[in-house]
Amino acid sequence: MAEKKIQCVCGFGCGSSLMLRMAVDDILKKNGLSADTFTGDVGTCLSNPCDVIFISRELAERIVDRASVPVIIIENFMDSNEVEEKVLAYMNSQ
Amino acid sequence: MEELVTLQRIGSRKKAENWQEAIRRAGELLLENGDIEEKYIDNMIESVRELGPYIVLTKGFALAHAAPSAVVKRTGISLINLEKSVDFGSSNDPVSVVMCMACVDKQSHIEHLQKLAMKLMEEGMIDKLSKCETDDELYKTINGV
Repeated sequence: MAEKKIQCVCGFGCGSSLMLRMAVDDILKKNGLSADTFTGDVGTCLSNPCDVIFISRELAERIVDRASVPVIIIENFMDSNEVEEKVLAYMNSQ
Repeated sequence: MEELVTLQRIGSRKKAENWQEAIRRAGELLLENGDIEEKYIDNMIESVRELGPYIVLTKGFALAHAAPSAVVKRTGISLINLEKSVDFGSSNDPVSVVMCMACVDKQSHIEHLQKLAMKLMEEGMIDKLSKCETDDELYKTINGV
């Protein structure tokens, strides 16, 4: 199976999304999983090929109706428990 | 030791009446150091108005930033704590620690930000930062010295 492409999204793709991506990478590594993670901004994220989008609640509203891949809402980008739960739930569902 | 945030970009017990002022106080440190033009501060505030308070990344902590643009002279990061916390309208309110980030592009600051994120995610770190009384204390806490 090809590696999953996980896109972490914030307003500009260079600040908070990077924090989120790190948290995701950390959890994948800790659990012996591997995926291709990258960051995107809310304006262009839907045109970046990926298998799933991780995003904050406020920003999710802007893309969820148009997204063709699952959109997973993260309330707290720096809460490793929440991110872990959601990353593992996604990875296990694949 | 590598400095994550320099002393001249740190401010303790800053006064802000609302979230706009909180972003402004943090942004001013970048302005004073010549990292940004004033317009960048307006851009950061505008982006919260437009996109919502998602920059409040965890309980009590906001990472203010706007898109890389010509009003950013060089990549810079500042850190303040507030004398009195403010609300951003986020589920992670109230906020008493604000970091402000300006980057010249989407790539060059990544390694630095990663180190900073590791630090910020340490257990109890935001709480510790919020309680620092002086610039020096804030500096030592964020840089781990």
